[in-house]
Amino acid sequence: MVERTSAHLDAVFHALSDATRRAMLSQLSSGPRSVGELAAPFSMTFAGASKHVKVLESAGLVRREVQGRTHVCRLDAARLSEADAWLRHYERFWTTKLDKLEELLIADADRQKPGKGSAQ
Amino acid sequence: MNADAKPAIVVVRRFDASPERVFDAWLDPQIARQWLFSTPDGEMVRAETDARVGGRFTFTERRDGEDIEHVGEYLVVDRPSRLVFTFAVPKYSTEYDRVTVEIRRLDKGCELTLTNEMSPEIYREWGERTRSGWTMLLDGLAALLGDEKRA
Repeated sequence: MVERTSAHLDAVFHALSDATRRAMLSQLSSGPRSVGELAAPFSMTFAGASKHVKVLESAGLVRREVQGRTHVCRLDAARLSEADAWLRHYERFWTTKLDKLEELLIADADRQKPGKGSAQ
Repeated sequence: MNADAKPAIVVVRRFDASPERVFDAWLDPQIARQWLFSTPDGEMVRAETDARVGGRFTFTERRDGEDIEHVGEYLVVDRPSRLVFTFAVPKYSTEYDRVTVEIRRLDKGCELTLTNEMSPEIYREWGERTRSGWTMLLDGLAALLGDEKRA
């Protein structure tokens, strides 16, 4: 598990780097869809859509079940949630830092006000 | 789209201060020590920057009696518009992130765009500690990955 996580994250980001696949995930976030349904908005062949689904599957973002002749896809949110949590951690880190920088710059500007305006 | 795009976050912020003041705040150790790698309960015990391409920085903060070192190297120093540096916390990981700071002059003040590209290795270590269900925000994630921004 430990050594697989990093490879998994690479797979997740690779899967998400494509706009078609992101749109497919959006569709799946409102419920399961067949591969045909996922293909429809892109006027894409079954084979084309299936290729994208395969990338999503190997990243652990989607599970595919074969029901008779239909392939039903479901979102598996756990992996996405991990990747998201990781990014948000960084986002918070920098947001907090920039808040602090802003505070400092404002305090500094106030201190300089009686003088001759903004510094270089 | 670049196939091996690294995971990255982008944070945009506007400041009333001039681009020069915002830029210098990253590199002047006396200013940077007050905000850049400091935390509210820590004590900054060392803040050194060698603000030129290839120069390195070290910020060491004492937290609960423990010294946490932040180190990196400046890759681009183009005052006041662009600063690129690598960044690592060796105590937690040997992997380096890459941070790009772009500052655009506005009529009043400036707009800063920060991009932090991460090494997936860091995720492995971090992920193990915080493996718990945070809320999933697909749209937010896609926006953060922002390949349309790169183009």
